[in-house]
Amino acid sequence: MKGHERDTISTDNAPLKSPVVLSVALHLLIVVFALAGWSWTNPVQEPEPRSISARLISPEPKPSPVVDDQDQRRKDQERRELEEKQRQQAEAERKREQEAEARRQAEEKVKEQARQQEQERKRQEAQARELAEKQAREKEAARKKAEAEAKERERQKAEQERQRQEVAKRKAAEEKRRQEEQRRKEEAERQRKEEEARREAERKRQEAERRLREQQLDALADQALKAQEAEARERREAEAARAREAQMLSESEKYQALIRERLSQAWYPPSSATENMTARLQITLLPTGELASVTLVGSSGNTAFDNSALGAVRSLNRYPVPDSRDTFERYFRQFTIEFNPQRLR
Amino acid sequence: MGMSRSMSVGKSTRNMALFSWLMVMLLVASTARAELLIRITEGADAAIPIAVVPFAESGAMPAGDKVSSVVQADLTMSGEFRPLEPSKMLSLPSKRSEVYFRDWRLLGQRYVLVGELTRNGERIQARYELFDVNREQRILGETAGASVSGIRSLAHHISDRVYEAITGEPGVFSTKLAYITLAINGNESVYRLQVSDIDGQRSKVRLESREPILSPAWSPDGKKLAYVSFETGKPVIFVHELATGERTKVADFPGLNSAPAWSPDGQSLLMTLSRDGNAEIYQMNLASGNTTKLTNHWAIDTEAAWDHAGRGVFFTSDRSGGPQIYHMERPGAEPRRITFGSRYNARARPDSKGEYVYYVHQRESTFHIARRNLKTDEETIITRTGSDESPSVSPNGRMLIYATQQGGKGVLTVVSADGGAAYSLPASEGEVREPAWGPISR
Repeated sequence: MKGHERDTISTDNAPLKSPVVLSVALHLLIVVFALAGWSWTNPVQEPEPRSISARLISPEPKPSPVVDDQDQRRKDQERRELEEKQRQQAEAERKREQEAEARRQAEEKVKEQARQQEQERKRQEAQARELAEKQAREKEAARKKAEAEAKERERQKAEQERQRQEVAKRKAAEEKRRQEEQRRKEEAERQRKEEEARREAERKRQEAERRLREQQLDALADQALKAQEAEARERREAEAARAREAQMLSESEKYQALIRERLSQAWYPPSSATENMTARLQITLLPTGELASVTLVGSSGNTAFDNSALGAVRSLNRYPVPDSRDTFERYFRQFTIEFNPQRLR
Repeated sequence: MGMSRSMSVGKSTRNMALFSWLMVMLLVASTARAELLIRITEGADAAIPIAVVPFAESGAMPAGDKVSSVVQADLTMSGEFRPLEPSKMLSLPSKRSEVYFRDWRLLGQRYVLVGELTRNGERIQARYELFDVNREQRILGETAGASVSGIRSLAHHISDRVYEAITGEPGVFSTKLAYITLAINGNESVYRLQVSDIDGQRSKVRLESREPILSPAWSPDGKKLAYVSFETGKPVIFVHELATGERTKVADFPGLNSAPAWSPDGQSLLMTLSRDGNAEIYQMNLASGNTTKLTNHWAIDTEAAWDHAGRGVFFTSDRSGGPQIYHMERPGAEPRRITFGSRYNARARPDSKGEYVYYVHQRESTFHIARRNLKTDEETIITRTGSDESPSVSPNGRMLIYATQQGGKGVLTVVSADGGAAYSLPASEGEVREPAWGPISR
């Protein structure tokens, strides 16, 4: 777009730039027409490289590219006449053009002056307008600048505030961080200490546990040993007790038999006795075998029978009792005698 | 784990040990708690030692046996007592204050009888006390009196009381015996029905006959005797009132009239009659003279006796081929034979308690008195003599009198019911046979 615009401008400006150039250009144009006319005389001509001509003449009015062959000789005549006319015309033209040129140049000079004046005016106007615009612009800019500055100030203030806050925040954060760090450090320290303490405690605990386990093991071993010993002792005691018991029993049986024999000899079942009579007497003896007491605890229902039993029990001066006090106490301190005749005379 | 397991195992075995220990202890405790019990099922095979201390006397006593001697003899005869000879006594107390139990105990005495006799005109008073030496208690104390002539009766009375106090059974020392004696003078035989104390003393002839007298039987009240007398030339049953001497001919049927036995109520007699040709048991109502035939068998049925309850009848029958004892549940019921194992079992005499029946039992060629336990059917020979016959049981069932041969002549012997002791009655002149133990007169 811009390119085009510049092109336009350059086209517009080309004649204005220099009349020399313009004239050169015209000469050139004439040369070109001459050359073209020459080449046209040779019917078979190699086509002119279009690119060169196109390039050169594209900004000027375009020559008619199409030529009627039938009119060629007339045309050539016409053209030679024309060309002579044209040459005359061109001479005239050139003289008129020179004159025109001189006039045009004069005019151009005036015009240039006017134009320059106009331009100056316009320039001054533009300058004024530009100044005003500039002033307005400046004002606006100042306003905008003030505004911006206010804004900036505000912004800066805010920024400052923000920054301050940021700083404060940062500081707080920093402080916090520091504190955090401190705390963390403390925590770490604490943890470390704790860990240490824990480890120590753990160590102690393990130690204690180990000791306890050892103690327990010792205790268990001890207990097991003691249990074994106790068991062995109990077994021995039980055996001894059994043996003692057996001995006591056998001793007891021996003395029971003796007592039975003595009492049988001492008992005179009365004539009225029958086989279903039973007198039960509870006997208490002294360790010497002497009778301490006798109680009829179960009567036969027959006084003579009961008396015979009582008499028998009391008739023994001394009961045969074991020397062993244990056996005596267990069996013969107090016992029951039952009189029940199974074989009457 | 392994530790705890082994420990728990150890613990469990320990528990087991503890458990068994506890069981042992429990057993011990239970045996200790379950008091020792000694059961005496047999008594002394000996008589009871008793010291009959000669009674103190105040006033003149009749000549003859002392009261204490009679008591001693009575107790000895029972077979149940073994009186201490007075010569072995350390002291002769006559009242409690003089009795030192320790002395008597040392002498092995169970009982001590002390007393004193006081003559009071024609009467004699006896004050006596019986002590249990071991219990040191007086178990009997009484005053009794009798005429001077009845001093033996007094003694027998004391024996009865002592016997009862100690044995719980009534004594039978005051009861009477009836028996038959035979005296042969040249070619003259004299049969006498006699009644005496059970020691044979104070005998009295109740009937004298040249013909045989058999089978005396006491009436339950002890006032009458029934017997068989051949005085008419044939056996005839008489009832003889002892107090008056009055005799009644109660059975004089053709043929045999024998073996009278009183019913417990004294209202009737069992007897053997052969009036229908064969010897059978009859029951005769004494008031009406009516007879009831209780047996009816071609064999000989004789020697009837009421059982202790007075409901059933024992008798002898040879229906099995030889004489055996039979029992009828009630008169006329089907008899049941109760003796076996011997060719000869006859003359059954039951005791008063229904426990035993005594009878003449032949073993090999000798005759003994056997006792059969009616519950267990156990048969025991209780006499050691031979040719034993005519058993008669004392009213308390504790003694038995029977006739036997001694030195070629018949004598009476008293044995304790179990045969433990025998006491021969003093022989009188001639033979003694057919004893009958009289009832306890109230």
